[in-house]
Amino acid sequence: MLNGVQAVLYREVHVFRKKAKKQILASSLSPLLFLIAFGWGFGDRVAVDGLPYILFLIPGLITMSSLNQSYSIAQEINISRFYFHVFDEFLIAPISHIEIIIGEVLYGVFKASISVFLIFGYAFLFGVDLRISASFFIIILMHSFMFSLLAITVSMLIKDHGSQAQVNTFVITPMIFLCGTFFPVDKLPAFFKVIVHCLPLTYSTKVIRASLTGGEINLVYIGIMLIFMCTFFLTALYAVKKVEA
Amino acid sequence: MSNHPILSVSKLVKTFGKKTAVNAVEFTIHEGEFIGLLGSNGAGKTTIIKAIVGLIKPTSGTVLYNNKNFEANLKESKKLIGVVPQNSNLDRDLTAYENLYLHTLLHNIPVKEREAKISTALDFAELSDYRDKQLKTFSGGMKRRLVIVRALIHDPKIIFLDEPTVGLDPQIRRNLWNLILKINQVKKTAILLTTHYIEEAEKLCNRVMVLDHGDIIMDNTPEKLKHGLGRFVLEIYNEEGITEKYFETQEAALTAQGQCQSESKIRDIALEDVIIQLTGRRVNA
Repeated sequence: MLNGVQAVLYREVHVFRKKAKKQILASSLSPLLFLIAFGWGFGDRVAVDGLPYILFLIPGLITMSSLNQSYSIAQEINISRFYFHVFDEFLIAPISHIEIIIGEVLYGVFKASISVFLIFGYAFLFGVDLRISASFFIIILMHSFMFSLLAITVSMLIKDHGSQAQVNTFVITPMIFLCGTFFPVDKLPAFFKVIVHCLPLTYSTKVIRASLTGGEINLVYIGIMLIFMCTFFLTALYAVKKVEA
Repeated sequence: MSNHPILSVSKLVKTFGKKTAVNAVEFTIHEGEFIGLLGSNGAGKTTIIKAIVGLIKPTSGTVLYNNKNFEANLKESKKLIGVVPQNSNLDRDLTAYENLYLHTLLHNIPVKEREAKISTALDFAELSDYRDKQLKTFSGGMKRRLVIVRALIHDPKIIFLDEPTVGLDPQIRRNLWNLILKINQVKKTAILLTTHYIEEAEKLCNRVMVLDHGDIIMDNTPEKLKHGLGRFVLEIYNEEGITEKYFETQEAALTAQGQCQSESKIRDIALEDVIIQLTGRRVNA
């Protein structure tokens, strides 16, 4: 069972290693810009949900950045499927679909972890006092797992590169902006509030923020994240099987 | 060659919507056999390969490896096969060594054996000096050699070569032929080669299957296929184009040529003549 996971991870990490500098630089830029624009702009002059805005913002950026990184494996799988055909090598090999999925998910988690530590670095530089609880590490793992699984599902179901960009434009980007990353979802109009509560990011943002600011972690939200994780695991499994149809 | 069947395909059908790409195809490949699957573009060659290696699900039919059902013994069956796809699926960001190492992981080759198998494969492909070079720097021929030996690392009983020499220049193609023949003769690995280069099938294969519109319309040795038509061809160049006539002996062909008023030429019969007769068109048309 483990050799398939190890193989997929070996391939992905070795390809990443060759492009690590560029990839890390690219993934570090956007949270830094948000931090400069909103963090310095509002700083601690504005309070949101009882927190200085910059303290409210940093967990949001961690959520956003780790989502972007774990979900970015969709683009990479997409290229390896349609352009390099490397994914076919996984399908031909004597390994199960579950091994392929776990290998790719672990790679997504690996990428997300880099972005998390990067933002911890920014928080330190900006003098933001995060109160990191042990539960944060479990929650961020669940969050990255969830969006890596979604990435696999999407990358298997789409038919070409263009469709991938459409999913990003119509699903991922609005989700990032509306699900509590930059402002509390309670401020949204009722209609949008219903929509964002159907999306997984709303729950992971809330619990990640609580685990970094000394807030209380809502176990119902953790349960909802688990349901999304299981759902996305099943959709990923279905989607990989469908590639062979 | 032995009589032990490595692969048995029975009534294999693959449809895409209303189009039938593979139509109840049946064949068996024995240990050490070298079989050519010939057909024009779109005849169904790649679809057959994809269906029998598990890249696409057949609509119906049975595939057996070592007399065991492929679907029911997926992992075990996949260990018996090596695949060289039409489009190289080597990772251009990895080195030759890393590409082969990835394959050893995928096939769960014991850690102790990995280095030796990779070195042997690189030697076999004459690529040992390029072990740590990224694939980006490889020529088309080097990539093809690497993808072929990669398919051998786990010692498969049968390898599928899907148009392995397409797009390569004649010199490199001949080098690849030598490598492929060495695999069949030294390692005794059965080979199913799809090609639309008739010359390739004629030079390499013990048996040739001709595929037309998803049906296998002929399955025999190249010699028997050719000589079913005759041994010599008289090509007559006239206003309508080229007319071909087939003769069992050179004397008969020469006699016919003597009676011919147009420009003409006598040549040995080739497998291509048989294919044209069978399918009504050239294989690479």
